[in-house]
Amino acid sequence: MNWWLLYKNEVNLQLFEMRQYWFETVASLIAICGLFIALFYGIKSFGFDGQESPSLDGLVFGFLLWAFASAAYMTVTGTIVDDTQKGYIEQLFINPKGFTSLLFVKAMVDLLSSLIFITLLAYLTMWLTGNWIEINFPLFYLALLLAAPSLIGLGLIIGGFALVFKRVDTLAQLLSLALMGLVALDGLPFGPLTFLPFTSGVSLAKAWALNQAEATVFDVLIVLANSIFYLLIGCLVFKFFERMAKRKNLIGQY
Amino acid sequence: MLEIKGLSKQYGQAVALQDVSFEVNQGEIVALLGANGSGKTTTINSICNLIEIDSGDINFEGLSIQKDRRYLAEIGAVLGGSRNINWRLTASQNARYFAALKGYQSKQIRSNIAKLEQQLGLDKYANLEVLKLSTGNKQKASLLCALAYSPKLLLLDEPTLGLDFGTVNELQDIIKQQSNSIGQGYLITSHDMSFIDKICQKVIVIDKGKLIFNGSIEALKSKLFTYRLRFIAPNLNDEQAKSAVLQHCLGDYHYQQDQHVLNIQYKQPEQVLGLLAWLHSSCVELTDLSMTKLTMEDAYQSLTARNQTK
Repeated sequence: MNWWLLYKNEVNLQLFEMRQYWFETVASLIAICGLFIALFYGIKSFGFDGQESPSLDGLVFGFLLWAFASAAYMTVTGTIVDDTQKGYIEQLFINPKGFTSLLFVKAMVDLLSSLIFITLLAYLTMWLTGNWIEINFPLFYLALLLAAPSLIGLGLIIGGFALVFKRVDTLAQLLSLALMGLVALDGLPFGPLTFLPFTSGVSLAKAWALNQAEATVFDVLIVLANSIFYLLIGCLVFKFFERMAKRKNLIGQY
Repeated sequence: MLEIKGLSKQYGQAVALQDVSFEVNQGEIVALLGANGSGKTTTINSICNLIEIDSGDINFEGLSIQKDRRYLAEIGAVLGGSRNINWRLTASQNARYFAALKGYQSKQIRSNIAKLEQQLGLDKYANLEVLKLSTGNKQKASLLCALAYSPKLLLLDEPTLGLDFGTVNELQDIIKQQSNSIGQGYLITSHDMSFIDKICQKVIVIDKGKLIFNGSIEALKSKLFTYRLRFIAPNLNDEQAKSAVLQHCLGDYHYQQDQHVLNIQYKQPEQVLGLLAWLHSSCVELTDLSMTKLTMEDAYQSLTARNQTK
């Protein structure tokens, strides 16, 4: 069975659902824009003006990073929780490539669609706020894609819990809040913060896409190592919980 | 095609399956019967690799499923009724999605889905999401997904749940036709005994995790009782009733007493004539008396009851 078919299938599924539930698609875009605008004007009312536009640039950029990070991390957890609630998670397990592989494919498709989403969001928020910042989108995407596996790793950890304990809303929300902190931290240059998930990716994205600065090969290697480390941890934790769920016959029971 | 060898599974101290072995061959329609909690779903889930078994093995076309996951492309399953598909998609969108998940996507698959959609009467609701369909049609949509890519083995857990008589008949026809024309094997759990009776060549009966019967439907029928005599005798104590049954009933029968209510299951009417004569001649007061022919389901339950008595 080829991987391309699996990708195409997940893209089709997303398109089916987006088309059939267009209201939900549009409403989520409006909701996230509304949230951002409230945040933007809220911060502006605290005294930022045009001279301090780098702070506002940082806010727009940080918001985009957070939107991406949330999407990347939620994709795995969301699949497990939603598909269990919808009642067909067993059917996803009964595929020759295995459930973890399917999760990766779903995550990649979600990441690509979230890149399209944040590009739209970026232009929409910049237009709405009149705060135009120069973002090098291709480099921004590259940095995010290099760092995204660390977020998928976090998603796999929460997903593993969800497979066994079913309700993990509090944990998932806490991690979602923690992501706000992570996207504000600088993991580069190398230091203690580098060991946190996604932080080095955030710095790389800022350096490449916002400051038009050049990153060293060492920086890129740090981002890759961080991604691989958290992805591996995520896979191991998920496999552990998957095994436990299979031992106790918990797959699909909600 | 499918070979279950000494399958055992325990959940803590509770035994779910104990040394269960059976086979499903190509083109064979096999029923897996048992009361609720007997281990049917654990068996089906084990075949689908949704459960880690404690011991034994499951082979598909000669290969252990624990070593090779590719067999999952050759298996179609309807598990837990109609909730087993994405209700936010239409039936055919679901069928295409799950077929592609198994690695099948071609014009042939699409035309197969369209044909099956017609056979199942789902073409009338082609544009409706599954959540807007009736219970019966939701069940049909699940079947459509399992049949769409013509897998070699179909595992159907309660496929007739919520279906009307007409649809059950159509389903029987589709299963028979698929089995005959493309040699599909079926393992079906159902409480609908007439459905099982009409299409299955082989029956496996599990009770409390143990296999208690594995043979043809005819062999099962020959082991089952056909009639039931039930009477209530308020003045007859347990000992008197037991001794009367032992003395006057002939041949193979199953006897059950609950206070003053006596139930006797047997094969031939003449087996209980002696007991009826004794009740009459002894002027035993009866507040109720009935002789009924057992339904297939009742008869099958008597098999498990007899096994428990042993």
